[in-house]
Amino acid sequence: MAYADFTPAQRAHTKRVLWLMLAYIVVLPPLIWLRATRHIGDGVLLAMAIAAALPVLGIFASWGRYVSDERDEYHRSLTLGRIAVATNVTMGAAVVWGFLQAFGVMPLIETYWVPFVWVVVQGLYGCIEVFSRKGAQS
Amino acid sequence: MRARIRTPAWKRYNWRVVWLSLLYAAFLLPAVYGFKHQIIPDPLKYLVAILPAMPIIGIFGALGRYLVEEQDEYVRMLMVRQTLWASAFALSIATVWGFLDNFGLVGHADGYWIVIVYFIGLGFGGLYNKLTLGDGGC
Repeated sequence: MAYADFTPAQRAHTKRVLWLMLAYIVVLPPLIWLRATRHIGDGVLLAMAIAAALPVLGIFASWGRYVSDERDEYHRSLTLGRIAVATNVTMGAAVVWGFLQAFGVMPLIETYWVPFVWVVVQGLYGCIEVFSRKGAQS
Repeated sequence: MRARIRTPAWKRYNWRVVWLSLLYAAFLLPAVYGFKHQIIPDPLKYLVAILPAMPIIGIFGALGRYLVEEQDEYVRMLMVRQTLWASAFALSIATVWGFLDNFGLVGHADGYWIVIVYFIGLGFGGLYNKLTLGDGGC
């Protein structure tokens, strides 16, 4: 689907996500550099960690607002389906990895990999949907 | 209004969750005992660690199946809202915790905690439904 075919809610959501990703790209490198090169107190580190997380939280809030704003029921149901699949796959992966960690057979990892997996699964499922629709049409 | 929420699909979902929870306990207790007393041979460790995760994944499957089977659109909408709140809550907590971990302020957390946070998020979603629509949902 080209950008011209997007619903108004999809366009607003895409713009919000692009701005938030830009904010993330701008904010994260200096924070990592500061952490690596300077001795910083816990209070500032806490503020830095939250500052790095805020654009990602904004992306989740944008998804919520999109679902609320979308007037096209078909597009909304597609999005809800993608969210459901991404959440189930991510939670499944988290619980499997969690037990492997707990029983000491896999290493511990940072929890921000969980939203990363969620975003990747949602994108992959979206691609599968597009290709399966094209396959059905041809 | 509670009687309306107790649809046949909701009852089936509850029974599935009860059986899966029993299965979870049946897998978890021997696994914990086996790892604690180091009686599990190395080739079986991955299998025994993953087994308790399977019923939890089954609960996510039951949740998905419930959304497909539910015929009452209002009750389904309540559950969809709950799952959206739960997803946003769990992914946000995972993001913040991940960055706090990355900046050395908190320790690593086992991945299955995300799932616990998700179920707490389902409770928050129910509370939000209750406050905004008067019905808590499932």
